[in-house]
Amino acid sequence: MDERVKDDMGGLAATLDFDAELMLRVKDGDGASFAILLEKHRLPVIHFLYRMVQNQGVAEELAQEVFLRVYRSRGSYEPTAKFTTWLFRIATHLALNSLRDGKHRRLEERLDDDSADTPVRQVSDQRPSVEQKMVHRARMEEIRRAVATLPEKQRAAVLMHKYEEMEYSQIAKVLNCSESAIKSLLFRAYETLRARLAHMA
Amino acid sequence: MNCPMETGGNAGLLLDFAAGKLKADARAQMERHIEDCPACGEFAGAQQTVWQAMDNWEPAEVSLDFDRRLYARIEQVPWWTRLLRPLNPLFRHSVPVGAAACVVIMAGLLMNRPAAAPASPVSQSAQVEALQPEQLEHALDDMEMLREFNHLVPDNADPKM
Repeated sequence: MDERVKDDMGGLAATLDFDAELMLRVKDGDGASFAILLEKHRLPVIHFLYRMVQNQGVAEELAQEVFLRVYRSRGSYEPTAKFTTWLFRIATHLALNSLRDGKHRRLEERLDDDSADTPVRQVSDQRPSVEQKMVHRARMEEIRRAVATLPEKQRAAVLMHKYEEMEYSQIAKVLNCSESAIKSLLFRAYETLRARLAHMA
Repeated sequence: MNCPMETGGNAGLLLDFAAGKLKADARAQMERHIEDCPACGEFAGAQQTVWQAMDNWEPAEVSLDFDRRLYARIEQVPWWTRLLRPLNPLFRHSVPVGAAACVVIMAGLLMNRPAAAPASPVSQSAQVEALQPEQLEHALDDMEMLREFNHLVPDNADPKM
């Protein structure tokens, strides 16, 4: 590709090329490239799935399935779209299926109760007071419930828009909709959230 | 600038403004619009509240053994693959041969297709049975008329006429 065209496409092309190139290396049998992709996308995928199904155990289980599918379909991989579009399409598909099957509900109590015993990645040593913790927890619970009330597709769109900072066109490709349909989907979803979370101002 | 609340196509503009995703010039334009449009101002304010509230929603920590479990699953070969592995060389050669055989069989079946089946006598009799008395009467009248017509034609008449 002409260098000038590459420059015109900016960061998008760079991201597309880097992740897609890594995936093409995985296709050629390079395990180290898969490890880089996993390191880069592990947290965004798990966090997205967690916010979708609202259960950490199920989210991790689904994320394992996402990366397993990525690895197993390496042979047929073609970089026709941005790598993250493909990745989140797999993740969204699995999350929606899980929600429809109601798997997360069956596992919710057991896995959530066990969470204190599970070894976790420690991010911060800051220790907020008990009161602060309670307020924070209450706010989080309220937000979690507000997001949970959204229809599945609206929820997926909001999470990709808010937390993954995806463009409308990319969300549209993931959810197999037109860009204008995604805009009105998001508009409706945020309308619901505004009504439910307005008092938090 | 057209009010984004009134033009459905610009719905994303207000969302982007509230999320701080607009470029400087578009942002300035929107800020000017909001000064004169209370509806958009209210919308943007409420949307920013939602946006900030959602920032508080931190996901839970990820298990330390996530990667180890994933790689264990990757290394685990599915049972059907293990079962079919000894047959792989056989499949490799037999698939094209099998496909060719299927094509030949299909071609044979198409060429040997039986000719159109003759109409069954049952259906004929069914048709006869379905004749109405009026139809039979008309047929007998026609035959009678033909017979009378034959009597009118002389025996030595030119057949070419």
